[in-house]
Amino acid sequence: MSRLLLGLFLYALLADSAFAQGWPDSTTSFAGGRVTLGGEFTATVSPEDEGKFNYTDYERSALQLIRLGVTINVRPVEGIAFITELRAEGATDGGPWNGIPVAAYLRVRPWRKHAFDIQAGRIPPVFGVGGRHLYSSDNVLIGYPLAWQYLTVMRPDAVPGNADELIYARSYGWQPSYSVGSDHYAKGVPLATAFRYDTGVEARVGEETRLLSMAAAFTAGTVSSPGARSSNGGPQFSTRVAVRPTTGLILGGSYANGTFIANTVQATLPAGAARGRYAQQTFGADAEYSKGYWLFRSELVSARWTLPVLGAPPIDNPLWATGLSAEGRYRLMPGVTLGARFDRLWFSDQTGTYITLPWDAPVSRIEAGVAWSVMRHVILRATVQHNTRTRGEVTSATVPAAQVTLWF
Amino acid sequence: MVLRRFALAVGLAAVLPRWPEAAEQLRGAIVRGRVELPRVQVTSERRPVSAELGEGSERDAGEWRRAVVYFETAPKGAFEDREAGRARMDQRNESFVPHLLAITVGTTVDFPNNDRTYHNVFSLSKGQRFDLGRYGVGHSKSVRFDHPGVVRVFCDIHSHMNAFILVFNHRFFNITDPDGSYEIDGVPPGSYTLVAWIEGAVRDTKSVTVGADQRVVEADFPLK
Repeated sequence: MSRLLLGLFLYALLADSAFAQGWPDSTTSFAGGRVTLGGEFTATVSPEDEGKFNYTDYERSALQLIRLGVTINVRPVEGIAFITELRAEGATDGGPWNGIPVAAYLRVRPWRKHAFDIQAGRIPPVFGVGGRHLYSSDNVLIGYPLAWQYLTVMRPDAVPGNADELIYARSYGWQPSYSVGSDHYAKGVPLATAFRYDTGVEARVGEETRLLSMAAAFTAGTVSSPGARSSNGGPQFSTRVAVRPTTGLILGGSYANGTFIANTVQATLPAGAARGRYAQQTFGADAEYSKGYWLFRSELVSARWTLPVLGAPPIDNPLWATGLSAEGRYRLMPGVTLGARFDRLWFSDQTGTYITLPWDAPVSRIEAGVAWSVMRHVILRATVQHNTRTRGEVTSATVPAAQVTLWF
Repeated sequence: MVLRRFALAVGLAAVLPRWPEAAEQLRGAIVRGRVELPRVQVTSERRPVSAELGEGSERDAGEWRRAVVYFETAPKGAFEDREAGRARMDQRNESFVPHLLAITVGTTVDFPNNDRTYHNVFSLSKGQRFDLGRYGVGHSKSVRFDHPGVVRVFCDIHSHMNAFILVFNHRFFNITDPDGSYEIDGVPPGSYTLVAWIEGAVRDTKSVTVGADQRVVEADFPLK
C-alpha cells in the first residue's frame, strides 16, 4: 500500500499544471472538480522515548514516525460523496510499514439547501475534537494530547482477575498482561484514540458556520477501541453538540457509551459475570477561542470503565480516567508559529490487598515548540516535551523532536 | 520568471524613449487586443479531509479566469507616474474576490471579511511577507505593497483559498475582461514587449511598436 500511496501522492502533484511553477496552490482536482485529492507526508525524528510516553495505538512512538497519507473525495453526483483516506506508516528507525485505510465512507446530503448529512462506513469520531484535528496542518506541536494517545493499562481483550493484577500493571500501558482473556502481552488503550476511525453510521445537523451543530453516531467499537467490525456486545452510541456563540469561539460537549469488553473475554467469564454489560462511558468537553494571532484550545476527556467483578480483592467500582489538555499558540511572524500545551491524566483510586492507589499511574506533560512554514506546503517543526509519571521504570523524560511535513 | 521580468523592466527603462510631457501622455496610443483564455473558473475545490462530520457550506460558482497583460519594459519616466491608491480584495464565500489583482507599487489593499467564519490572510512571497491574523465578518485589514512582483495570497484556515496580486512599478498593465479583452492606454511611441500572464505563468509575449501618429495598436494573444 505504501507504494500505491507514494504513486498517488506524486501523481497528484505532477498532474497539476501548476506544479511546473512550484507546488500546486489550488486543491488538486479532476473531472471538473468531482474528484479531489489531498495528501500529506510527515517524517518525525526524536531520541528513543525510554518511558514509552509517546507510544500510540500502533505500538510506535508518535515522535518516531514516517507517515504518508492520501485523501480522495469522489462526488459522482450532487449530494453524494465517497471519501477515502489511505495511510502508510513506518518508524523512522526502520521496521515494517503499516498500510491503513483510515477512512472509507459514503456521505449523503439528502437536501441540498439543508445542513443535514449522513455518513456511513469507516467514519471519523463524533466524540470530542482531538481525534479530528489534522495531524500536521492543524497542529503546531508534534505530540498528541495524552487523552488521545497515552496508552493506559486498560485492554478490551483481557481483563484483570482482581485489583492486585490491575495495580501491578500500572504504568505499563504499552504491554499490560492479565489472567482473563488473551494471555498475550498487548498494548492498552488511550481514553479515546486519535489514530483510528470506527465503523458505523453518523448523522449531523448544522455546519461549522452555524450557531449550533449536533452529530450522533452508532459504531461497532468504542472511542478507545474502534474497529472495522463489532467484536464486543453491541454498538456504541456517541454524540456531540457544538455551540458557536461568536466567531472564533467554539464550545463543545460529547458523550459516548459502548460495550468495551470483547466477546472473546465475555465468553470466558464465569456464569455470574458473563451476563453483565461491561461498558466504556466517555464524557467530553472542549473549547476553542481564537482571535488575531492567538489560538487557545482546551479539551477534557473523562472515561469510565466497568469491569467484571471476578476474584478478590474485587474491582467493584467503575474505573475512571480523566485527561485535561490546554494549548495556546501564537503567530510570531508570517509562517512562524509558537505553541505550548499542558496535559494531565488522572486515574481513580483502586484498593488492592495492601494498598489503595490510582489504578494507573498519573501522567503530566508539558510540550512547547515552533512551526515554520518554509514554503506554503513545507512545514518544519521542533518541539520539546517533558513527561512525568508517578510510577514506572522511567518516571520522567524530556524528549525533543523534529518534524518535516509536505502537504498538498 | 515573472519577478525577473519585473526587474528587467526596471533595468531597461533607462534605454527606452523618454516619457513625453503630461499633455502628450493623454494623447498616447491605446494598445488593445484579446487574450484567448481557457474557460476555467478560479474557485478552488475544498481540500478533501476525512475528519469532517459532514459537507461544508455550499459555495457559489466563482469568477472566470482572467489574465494580466503588461509591458515588460516601460517608457523612461513611467516609474514616477504611477498612481498608488487603494484596492480591495474581499474574502467571500471562502474565496478571494477578485482572484486576481494588479496594482502599482505603493497601493494599499484592503482585505474585508464577508464570511461568517474567520479568515486569516497571509503571504509568504519573498517580496511581501505578511500575516493579518484571524478576524471575523465585518472587519477588514490592509497591506501596503511596496515591492514589485507576484504576491501569492492565501488563507491560513481555508487552504483552498488563494489569489494573486501583481505589483507593478509602472502603470502599463491591465487585467483582461472575462472574455479576454484588454486595453492599455496612454502609451507613448516606441517599441515594447507585451506579456500575457495567467495564473502564475507568462503565457505569451509579443513585440509591439507604437508609431508617433498611431492612436490604436492591436495585439492579440491566441490560445497556444
